[in-house]
Amino acid sequence: MSRLKTCFDQLRAQKRAALIPFITAGDPIQTLTVPLMHGLVEAGADVIELGVPFSDPMADGPVIQRASERALAQGTSLRDVLDMVKNFRLQNQTTPVVLMGYLNPIEIMGYKTFVQAAESVGVDGVLTVDLPPEEATDLSALLRAHAIAPIFLIAPTTTPKRIKHICVQASGYLYYVSLKGVTGSANLDVISVAKKVTEIRQHTDLPIGVGFGIKDVQSAAQVAKVSDAVIVGSALVRLVETEAQDKLLKMIPAFVRALRQGMDAL
Amino acid sequence: MSKFNNNQPISRTRVKICGITRPHDAQVAAKLGVDAIGLVFYKNSPRAVSVKTAQKIIQALPPFVTTVGLFVNAEPTFIHNILAQVPLDILQFHGEESPDDCRRFDKPYIKALRMRQNVDVQAFAQRYSDAKALLLDSYVQGVKGGTGVIFDWQQVPSDLSKPIIIAGGLTPNNVSQVITTLCPYAVDVSGGVESAKGIKNADKMTAFMKGASMVKSITLKKTPSLPDLPDSDGHFGPYGGLFVPETLMQPLEELQKAYQHYLNDSAFLAELNDDLHHFVGRPSALYHATRWSQHLGGAQIYLKREDLNHTGAHKINNTVGQALLAKRMGKTRVIAETGAGQHGVATATVAARFGMECVVYMGSKDIKRQAINVYRMRLLGAEVRAVESGSKTLKDALNEAMRDWVTHVDNTFYIIGTVAGPHPYPLMVRDFQAVIGRETRQQIKVLAGRLPDILIACVGGGSNAIGLFYPFLDDTDITLYGVEAAGDGLETGRHAAPLCTGKPGVLHGNRTYLMSTEEGQILETHSISAGLDYPGVGPEHAWLKDNGRVEYVAVTDDEALDAFHDLTRLEGIMPALESSHALAYCKKIAPTLDKDKIIVINLSGRGDKDIHTVAALEGIKI
Repeated sequence: MSRLKTCFDQLRAQKRAALIPFITAGDPIQTLTVPLMHGLVEAGADVIELGVPFSDPMADGPVIQRASERALAQGTSLRDVLDMVKNFRLQNQTTPVVLMGYLNPIEIMGYKTFVQAAESVGVDGVLTVDLPPEEATDLSALLRAHAIAPIFLIAPTTTPKRIKHICVQASGYLYYVSLKGVTGSANLDVISVAKKVTEIRQHTDLPIGVGFGIKDVQSAAQVAKVSDAVIVGSALVRLVETEAQDKLLKMIPAFVRALRQGMDAL
Repeated sequence: MSKFNNNQPISRTRVKICGITRPHDAQVAAKLGVDAIGLVFYKNSPRAVSVKTAQKIIQALPPFVTTVGLFVNAEPTFIHNILAQVPLDILQFHGEESPDDCRRFDKPYIKALRMRQNVDVQAFAQRYSDAKALLLDSYVQGVKGGTGVIFDWQQVPSDLSKPIIIAGGLTPNNVSQVITTLCPYAVDVSGGVESAKGIKNADKMTAFMKGASMVKSITLKKTPSLPDLPDSDGHFGPYGGLFVPETLMQPLEELQKAYQHYLNDSAFLAELNDDLHHFVGRPSALYHATRWSQHLGGAQIYLKREDLNHTGAHKINNTVGQALLAKRMGKTRVIAETGAGQHGVATATVAARFGMECVVYMGSKDIKRQAINVYRMRLLGAEVRAVESGSKTLKDALNEAMRDWVTHVDNTFYIIGTVAGPHPYPLMVRDFQAVIGRETRQQIKVLAGRLPDILIACVGGGSNAIGLFYPFLDDTDITLYGVEAAGDGLETGRHAAPLCTGKPGVLHGNRTYLMSTEEGQILETHSISAGLDYPGVGPEHAWLKDNGRVEYVAVTDDEALDAFHDLTRLEGIMPALESSHALAYCKKIAPTLDKDKIIVINLSGRGDKDIHTVAALEGIKI
């Protein structure tokens, strides 16, 4: 059974929501990424979304844009990110890792080369932000053939017809974008999120994660009540940006632990 | 594109107003410049006139207005009798008259054909071989004469040997669309300019003549022998498509639907035509650069003067179209990205024109290079937001505009300035810019008597190039050159020439040729011209490169600058540095060609905005 399925099955049995932190690979320096991933797991992360830096991250707000720029300044490439997953897997064979990024680095590497490499290093899911299901047929088929989940976004603007279509294409989990905006935006409306999650639920048995705009214990706890997974990105990445490098291995897990406790206290 | 291409340039579609019943109406029509009036001699028609009235009408007419008598299955004696008393110039037969019936009066004649389903227009033209023209009329069972219903234009064959007069259902609102689509010899209107049956209305006749004199705004039909691209999902072969975050999928679908709808909406097209004519100043001139041609000593060079448009570049053709669409879609806020600032200015201009809120994103590097345009946008009431991310140029401005759109999709329309971006932008922007090529086609036939041998345009995103090329794609004996920015030289890596040096990838919503690293990161580009400083290119260009229809070349900053000075000094026209790239390539090839060869260059913008750049390069402080 896949790591993602095992993970979500266990959480479902425990009636807990998954906590999925996002960090950008290679931010602030490449050597910190794998230790940070282990730190996230120790602090209670169930799945890790690892951002693949891209020069033109059009769906991201300023916080993750700057993280990408820092990682690229370190020369972080898609191959480097795959190597980081490989290193992470030396010590951790259970926590699912999902790569999140944009299509062009994958396109330039070649779909086949990428998917084979991703499988061999132990990647569990791939979320390509600028690849809607309509254009994803080839990549999705390859990913599935190599036991990697193609993960898709659903947005507040997604029509019921598209939700149905996306649910058919997706595997692993669905990523509901909680607001119209870029990553790291403010103002999460939990009531409308709950409504949309209920709507999506009618079309799929896959876990439904919610991301964009979750920035503290309170919003994480609220979203955990109405969904299967809480995805936290910009809030973490902002810490990476503002805290001193030698403190990150303490600060980041501490923040994740607080989120976890807040979610579990329900 | 001319549908009735008899190798005869039609510089103006003629107008006939039919069913005149009052001398005064005939006089008004003549004053408005109508070419012919029609008198109905068919007693069942509400517009029938007596011999006496007909005489009065003709008497009231000034010279050079043709009088046409309309008959429906009339007895020869009846027609002879009318001809003996009324000095008609030409007869028009609307019934089941045979060719012999039409011929016997020793008068030139027009035969009308009612456009039933499956009617064979070609065979009809052969049968009435001596008719001066064919009048194609809408057909409704049991009703003869003008029936006021527009027929299906698709039925008309494109290679008809006879002049065509289009009739039936024409109005001031749809006449320009008919002329755009069919380029007929003449249009014939009756009910469309009346306030009551037989009573012509001066305002409506005025509006009709205005509509008929306007040039084309938009392509309604694909070029017939090429595949109809993009496909319904926006693909040009492997290129194009819809590579955007999920949040934008529904807004893009909505835009696609709205565009398809208004593309066929005559009121929308009439409004677009009207603005292109009166606000933009179209048609733009086609100018024979005789001194420069002589100086280069080879081919004859013609410049399509998009620099003469309002705001000084071709960009406004597209922003007017998109802003009108935005208005119809109920959007109150428009956003845009800009490099050189031309598209930003064109967007700010239409936002002011239509009373919309406007935000323009511009890389902070470009803001420094193009201070004048930044100030122009602010004067026009737009907010210019500096983009500090990435390379701080056009591509980053596009990212930021996308982010804005994702956040404000409900009230915001994103006016993309080039033929890139997600579907339907490459299609829509092409259609709005294709007016450049359509005008060129007509103008060069009038000026030079034939189509050109070579077309040249600069390519950044590629909207001015596709605008010129698109109506000529089918004419495979015409060579098309797209000129990219070679910057310091292709070999230096400091350039903006994805088609010449890049490879396919995905950026800004579409798959196309890109300049990227081996890891798939988008490269920073360099060009003397901010408008060409972009690492991608419209997907249709990628397709046209692969299938070989367009040849893509590149010229350096220095070559472009040389051409800038040449045109300024030899022709008194200061070109934009973008357009100077096209001129520079022309400079290379024109001297190698015979003097009877014709080159048309899209002079996409004027150079006023660039004088600081040029001065700085020459060490001059202004």
